[in-house]
Amino acid sequence: MKFLATRVLSILAAIGFSFLVQKLAEGQDSFTQQLLVLASLYVTLSVSLNLINGITGQFSIGHAAFYQVGAYAAAYCGTAFYPNWHGSPVVWLLLMLVVGGIVAAIAGFIVGLPSLRLKGDYLAVVTMGFGEIVRIVVQNQKVLGESGGLSVHPHLQQIWVVVLLAILCIALCRNLQITAHGLPFLAVREDEVASAAMGVNVTKTKVIAFVLGSGFAGAAGAAYALQLGAINPDLFRMDQSFIILTMVVLGGTGSVTGSVLAALLLFYIPEKMRDLSDVRLSVLVSILISVGFAVAAVRYVINNVHKPIKVRAAYYAGITAVTAVVITILGKILQLVPAFQTSVEGGKLRLVVFAGVLIVLMLIRPEGIFAHHEFSWDWLLSPLKKKRTKLPGVSA
Amino acid sequence: MNLLKLDKATIKFGGLIAVNEVSFEINKGDLFGLIGPNGAGKTTCFNLITGVYKPTSGQISFDGRDITGTPANKIANLGIARTFQNIRLFKSMSVLENVVTAGYLRHKTSMASAFFYLPSAIKENEQLKEEAMKLLEVVDLAHVADVRSCDLAYGMQRRLEIARAMATQPQLLLLDEPAAGMNPQEKEELNAMVKKIRDHHNMTVLLIEHDMRFVMSLCEKIFVLDHGEEICFGPPEKVRNDPKVIAAYLGEAV
Ligand SMILES: Nc1ncnc2c1ncn2[C@@H]1O[C@H](COP(=O)(O)OP(=O)(O)OP(=O)(O)O)[C@@H](O)[C@H]1O
Ligand SMILES: [Mg+2]
Repeated sequence: MKFLATRVLSILAAIGFSFLVQKLAEGQDSFTQQLLVLASLYVTLSVSLNLINGITGQFSIGHAAFYQVGAYAAAYCGTAFYPNWHGSPVVWLLLMLVVGGIVAAIAGFIVGLPSLRLKGDYLAVVTMGFGEIVRIVVQNQKVLGESGGLSVHPHLQQIWVVVLLAILCIALCRNLQITAHGLPFLAVREDEVASAAMGVNVTKTKVIAFVLGSGFAGAAGAAYALQLGAINPDLFRMDQSFIILTMVVLGGTGSVTGSVLAALLLFYIPEKMRDLSDVRLSVLVSILISVGFAVAAVRYVINNVHKPIKVRAAYYAGITAVTAVVITILGKILQLVPAFQTSVEGGKLRLVVFAGVLIVLMLIRPEGIFAHHEFSWDWLLSPLKKKRTKLPGVSA
Repeated sequence: MNLLKLDKATIKFGGLIAVNEVSFEINKGDLFGLIGPNGAGKTTCFNLITGVYKPTSGQISFDGRDITGTPANKIANLGIARTFQNIRLFKSMSVLENVVTAGYLRHKTSMASAFFYLPSAIKENEQLKEEAMKLLEVVDLAHVADVRSCDLAYGMQRRLEIARAMATQPQLLLLDEPAAGMNPQEKEELNAMVKKIRDHHNMTVLLIEHDMRFVMSLCEKIFVLDHGEEICFGPPEKVRNDPKVIAAYLGEAV
């Protein structure tokens, strides 16, 4: 049967790819391995949050809380039940992914049901509150290790598992999107009243998205816990939620591929910045000023220049070039001023990058890099193609 | 037997009685018009019937069952579909996807089958798409099936609203000012289209319209509302000459 053959092949390919990543990672130092793990986890987290925020249009800002719930569920089970486990550790690991996912999904249901029934942005407030509640509960419960955290048994570094989890999460979201079952989610995002009039159970649809998204975050948390061997509340602070949210917004709310690419990008750049030695204040200030003007210029072009995309692309290239020159010159000039001769530690600028990227994006492309589109070469190259076919019968 | 029955349906918004003890019956196969000046409460009647609002008092029954206060999505499943006066398409979706979304309420496969992209889900997806394409042909939009719905011209968006409502395969179709913003030729085509929908698709139609010529030539029974109350009910000839109706429209040509 053709279906079965292709399905088995694609599953084998996914597993094969995961093990390939593991094999390649084994030759690397432990820092690179951690990076790979974290990158995969962030992909899972942002794609699952995208299901809630992007595809279904609900605004959850506490995704790290469900990540934490999954991690602590796995850690707790490891302490309580692993000593009596006689199966293989890898089976335990997979079991913990399921347990972490289910516990987080249940938490998602309890948090989501009351707030998603209401119209308006209650979910944002409630998810944020939930994050704080989880943190405070964890910090005050002896069995959960209080502020000191928990060590996780067994400590299993299986990179293929986190890679496979990310692939599974992407695949499920993609499959949902390419069948009719995904349409009610989009419909709820577009117009709740019209969705209900077409027979969509709006509350149920939102809750399903929220529970699934939370569940995947929980599974990621469980994987993280076993991978790390020890967890503590600091790993799941509120800024984690904002980082994941930034990834989704940057990628384009609703775009699965956008979330994946943004997760990798936003993960990679700040990690690189950790190694960055000191940055001179003069350089920093000149970047800040120039980027500010560049953003204003880009906005001006977007709003006032109605020329073909090729012409506008040339304008943008020009703005970029001018900005680069200005940064260099301004940096040199400011260097002459004694007040600007001090340095800032590069590692401390990580969160500034997130904030900066978000602000710039909100100003020049509020719909996200990919907007609602999915990445494809056709989409990427479409502005370069000759003429877009005009819609028949559309008045200008 | 009547298909839809309003029995003294009333709704108040604070001090305003938007619909006041309105009663009418619609039989299977009717082409029923609901008219009245701006703010008369016509759209509010639709909102009561389709479960957007719950009546303050009174009863609404459909196909012999009491649907007063039933949630909107259940009412759609029972067989009432509507269009919106201020177009409410799923903007970023394609024309085809808009219609498939409405057809989705008849889905049989589980969501899990979609997650794992099982053949049953794929097949159902194709089936829903095919049905949607047929409806797009009825409203003459098949050639723009892949266009984003918000990029359509206004008249086309109105027709897409109709196709989307039809995709739920309703017994009763509610059209809220379907001809608004259309030119005379488009209106004529719409007139024929609505008749065709009633005759060939076995749907009962209740429509709101301000264009009197359009309503009078299309509907067999007309119910006139003013300030939330019934002022006249009957065939077009009767409504046209009713002094109360003429007064309500303040001398507009009726
Ligand atoms: N949700 C609401 N809250 C408060 N008042 C409302 C609400 N919905 C409708 N109304 C009021 O009810 C009255 C009837 O409104 P409705 O929209 O039903 O009129 P209509 O007959 O459809 O008019 P039009 O021809 O302009 O569409 C209006 O005075 C309107 O302001
Ligand atoms: Mg109205």
